[in-house]
Amino acid sequence: MKARILVVDDDEALAEMIGIVLRNDGFEPVFCADGAQALDVFRSSRPDLVLLDLMLPGMDGIEVCRQIRGESDVPIVMLTAKSDTSDVVRGLESGADDYVPKPFKPAELVARVRARLRPGDQKAPETLKIADITIDVAGHTVSRGNDRISLTPLEFDLLVALARKPWQVFTRELLLEQVWGYRHAADTRLVNVHVQRLRSKIEQDPEAPEVVLTVRGVGYKAGV
Amino acid sequence: MVSATKQGSDSAAQDGEPVRRTTPHPADTGLNPGSGALDGAEGDSSPQDGTGHGTGGHGDGLAPGLRHVAFRAGIWRRRALIVTLRVVRLVRTGVVRFLPGLRYLGRALQKRWRRSLQFRTVLTTLMLAVTSFAVVGAYLSNQIANNLFQERLTQAESETRYNVKQVQDTFDGAQVTDQSSVITLVSDTLSAVEGRGSVIQRRYVFEAMPNQTKPRNRWVESRASDQLTVSVIPADLRKAVQESGKDQYWASTVIPVGTEDRPGIAVGNKVTFNGTVYELYLIYDLNTAQQTLNEIQSVLWAGGAVLVLLIGAVAWYVTRNVVSPVSHAAMVSEKLAAGQLQERMVVRGEDEVARLGASFNHMAASLQEQITQLATLSQMQQRFVSDVSHELRTPLTTVRMAAEVLYDARDDFDPINKRSAELLYNQVERFQSLLSDLLEISRFDAGVAVLDAEPEDLLQVIAHVIEGAAPVAAEYGSEILYTAPEGSMIVEMDARRIDRILRNLILNAVEHGEGKPVTVTVAANETAVAVAVRDHGIGLDQAQAARVFDRFWRADPARARTTGGSGLGLSIAMEDTKLHHGWLQAWGRKGDGANFRLTLPLRQEDGISEPPLQLEPKDVTTPGAPGSIPAEEGNRNMLVLQAGGATPAPPQASEETP
Repeated sequence: MKARILVVDDDEALAEMIGIVLRNDGFEPVFCADGAQALDVFRSSRPDLVLLDLMLPGMDGIEVCRQIRGESDVPIVMLTAKSDTSDVVRGLESGADDYVPKPFKPAELVARVRARLRPGDQKAPETLKIADITIDVAGHTVSRGNDRISLTPLEFDLLVALARKPWQVFTRELLLEQVWGYRHAADTRLVNVHVQRLRSKIEQDPEAPEVVLTVRGVGYKAGV
Repeated sequence: MVSATKQGSDSAAQDGEPVRRTTPHPADTGLNPGSGALDGAEGDSSPQDGTGHGTGGHGDGLAPGLRHVAFRAGIWRRRALIVTLRVVRLVRTGVVRFLPGLRYLGRALQKRWRRSLQFRTVLTTLMLAVTSFAVVGAYLSNQIANNLFQERLTQAESETRYNVKQVQDTFDGAQVTDQSSVITLVSDTLSAVEGRGSVIQRRYVFEAMPNQTKPRNRWVESRASDQLTVSVIPADLRKAVQESGKDQYWASTVIPVGTEDRPGIAVGNKVTFNGTVYELYLIYDLNTAQQTLNEIQSVLWAGGAVLVLLIGAVAWYVTRNVVSPVSHAAMVSEKLAAGQLQERMVVRGEDEVARLGASFNHMAASLQEQITQLATLSQMQQRFVSDVSHELRTPLTTVRMAAEVLYDARDDFDPINKRSAELLYNQVERFQSLLSDLLEISRFDAGVAVLDAEPEDLLQVIAHVIEGAAPVAAEYGSEILYTAPEGSMIVEMDARRIDRILRNLILNAVEHGEGKPVTVTVAANETAVAVAVRDHGIGLDQAQAARVFDRFWRADPARARTTGGSGLGLSIAMEDTKLHHGWLQAWGRKGDGANFRLTLPLRQEDGISEPPLQLEPKDVTTPGAPGSIPAEEGNRNMLVLQAGGATPAPPQASEETP
């Protein structure tokens, strides 16, 4: 089955080009040129992934991102023309899983899309524990005691990566490679923002984390 | 009696002229013996003393002022001593008890003195006023005291002369022979001297001169007014009177009146009665003069104090008028400097201060206008950069993707189309890197680039960059030699920017290294870490070296376009380094390659005390002259270009990464 991808971009030429590239690689693109209609198209097309431009007529890309995230865990990859820290961080904080700065290579875009669409490879029944958190990998659930904690697939992958090797300190680069699928250096702010978001969901006190610990100057590790 | 007449005439003569001095007149001394009406014994003693005592008398004559002063000084000295002792004790206990408070007060005053022009001016004015009033007051008081005394003395002298003459006349004219009438006569005569009425005008001491044969009818030895004895007469005066002729002498003394001691003047002369020579001293009370003087002094003190206070108040008012606009201006300019550009001075009137305020406000207004304009420009620039970024990138992305699709399919094209697709693809790449560099540098220019610093391991970043540069190095046939300490090196930095700087330096070195090895050396000290990237390529001369970090600068324009790159790489690296408060420096020499050193502070707030690595590589020898002093070599060009602090070390040459 072809994965359906919603491309939200007001630039018709670019959208069409993206469509060509995606079709070339065996995806099924759906288009939307207006931010205000993005949510409706999203609901009707039920895509497997959303490619979202940040600057949109009708409604800001960040707002669109927040609304989609409000009702779905579907992976969202932002297309940004600006690489200013504040915009990228704002986008990531509003719920995007990854971003591709313009101008991007087709291969780069496809790699990002594939990385986000990667099926949960390890479906073998497996239960991980870090601190007071229990992770059911096969069931894609995270709980503290009897309380279920809702995580996006990306946050889930990040937590699983850390929990699988509690003895290891993960550098940001290593996490980028394992969780986001980057082969070469990318922006480590991705990791920082998502770790913060993950902490805000699973830590009892995000200011004094116990599940995901920072190793100063190196990266992150799972709490014991 | 003849002698009486003589005396009288003498006295008259003296009265006639203004008697300033109390010394015996030479004329008197000369005349007295000449009159010859006196006893031989007396006659003998008088002339002898005439000259002998001229000097003594003179001494006494000057002394009166001095004596008077000395007397007063004695009293004052004692009072001063008591006051001083009290003050010392008070100060000592005060100092012990209130020392911390005093110290604080002292420091506060010192601070006030340093920081407040008004305080300083008022205090200085007060001190000067007090000093001048003290000087003028002392002079005035001294003059008044002297005049009062002189006046009183002149009066005392003439009165004495008159009274002595009266007494002498009475004695000379007396026809008494029996003891009781002699005593009565003397008493009555002397009482008359004391003055008529109830007020005692003067006191007397009447004493027979010692060492004279006692005549038969001498019944009176000594007499004195109430409470007085001969001891109140200073010995010097007695001696002068005894040894002179009929001359009048005076001296200051202290007399007991009631229970108190009062200052007085004693004026002495001789009188003869029944063949006996007596010393007669008339003593005048200076109390009234002293009281007058005291009153005048207290008026002077009070007036002085009031004047000093008034002067202080005037100085305070005047300086406040002058200083307050100045301090107002200082306050306003501080606020302006702190960024409150709408702050203005209050302008009142048309005087110099108002002009200052007006021109200050004018300056502030134009400053505000300029700054606002600049800020607007900067904002416009930022927005422009942002818009260009978006507007250019979107179509560029499309073009790029299309180019890539074509490029991927180039093998299906005929040769012409295939080459076109390749050119399109490569040039779109180049266009893109140029655009992103341009946008990056505009961000620095607009001042919107921010440092996103976190403690990270520099060695990892370097290893990563070297790994990334390895394929390029292999392409150029050069090798990257890496020397670094074991373990990790945590530096507070923006890894993205440091990565970019190092990639730039290393690729630069590889591209200009002519296939020779490129050395990357890392070292650290307590405050900083340094990375040196050294190549052994063609190097640069001085003129080229000076422009290494210039935008779009190329070492050799002729071969500029053979390698890619925007020409902005090193400029961006320099801006990134500045953002880290670090140094980026270059050294080079024609034929010896170049060395670039990046120095970063371990912690952003600390700064770099000294660089851990030398800029000039150790392996460099002066070509052809191993023993010579390299610094004098003509082709050894060094120049330091650095961000942040100034290090006058000479470095030089380098090349631009194209």
